[in-house]
Amino acid sequence: MGSIHSTKKSSQTPIPMTELTSSKTAPPLVVVAPTKKAVQRPPVARWKRGLGIFDFILRICAIAAALAAATAMGTTNQQLPFFTQFFQFKADYNDLPAFTFFVIANATAGAYLVLSLPFSIVCIIRPHIVGARFMLIVFDTIAVPLITSAASATASIIYLAHNGNSNANWAAICQQFDDFCQRVSGAVVASFITAVIFMVLVVVSAVALRRS
Amino acid sequence: MMKVGAMQLGVAPPANRGIAILDFVLRIIAIVGTLAGAIAMATTNQTLPFFAQFVRFRAKFNDLPSLAFFVVASSIVSAYLILSLPLSVLHMVKANAVNSRVLLLFLDTATMGLLMAGSSAAAAIVLLAHDGNNKVNWFAICQQYNSFCKRVSGSLIGSYAGVVVLILLILLSGVSLSRR
Repeated sequence: MGSIHSTKKSSQTPIPMTELTSSKTAPPLVVVAPTKKAVQRPPVARWKRGLGIFDFILRICAIAAALAAATAMGTTNQQLPFFTQFFQFKADYNDLPAFTFFVIANATAGAYLVLSLPFSIVCIIRPHIVGARFMLIVFDTIAVPLITSAASATASIIYLAHNGNSNANWAAICQQFDDFCQRVSGAVVASFITAVIFMVLVVVSAVALRRS
Repeated sequence: MMKVGAMQLGVAPPANRGIAILDFVLRIIAIVGTLAGAIAMATTNQTLPFFAQFVRFRAKFNDLPSLAFFVVASSIVSAYLILSLPLSVLHMVKANAVNSRVLLLFLDTATMGLLMAGSSAAAAIVLLAHDGNNKVNWFAICQQYNSFCKRVSGSLIGSYAGVVVLILLILLSGVSLSRR
């Protein structure tokens, strides 16, 4: 705007005239549109906006649960106070591939949830947008089996560690590694809570996708 | 405007009917996959040709609790999928059935979670049985029970295919809900 003024200092009079003409033609276009939008928006948006806020709150809870599960599993490290010449009695999450998968899956889910927060905010502000909601439902549907798979694989390994298996001759290691087993069991519970929250998120997005 | 007229007549617009037919076909594929997985796992029975006085050299799915959970979960999922076929047919016929679509989506999500839980619990045990674990001193039993392990792995493939089909069913329900 400033540069246009500096170049057209000699001809200032035509500019207000073009502005007057443009202001004459502009208002009729502006007047028609807001009445349409003002009539149609409130009845559609109210319950969808409520669902969007519920979705956002659930996402924050799921972030807390997923990151808690990943950290609780990732920071386990119990070393027993006795040792022999060849064995080191140390239990770590790296020892079992199911635990490693658990940490990776929960960390991925936590990162995805953090990245999906802006899309959730967009769905609150503009409740009639379909694209962002559909993207959220697609990725949430992929996240449900990922988290469920990690949590239940780890749960089955921990069940085996608690009870052992006489048929396969597998010893119950939790009788020695007590603290490790408690921590890992807590992580599995947090991960199952994340899975349930993801399922609720899928249903909330599906209900909000409805056209009423 | 043509779509509004078709829905006022109570007939599904062509795109939604195509989605409903695809939904029905995918459900049948999922039934076949999960049922095959459940049956293949439940009929495992391998006895080794040598024996000692106190030790039993026989492998069945009952011996490992995770595999038993897998059989139960797969059976429940197959039964649910068979029972949901009439609901899928209803969506083919009736266009404005919104609440039943949302109900079907909710049940499909819960079912997918259950099937995935059973499959991955069994998969974790199968991986352990194949490789063993030196640090925890768990021996790899698949080196002896060969045919048992092959059958169990094959049944897991069927149930993971069922999970993929269930994901597609959920996304199809979402698409048909947003297109009305």
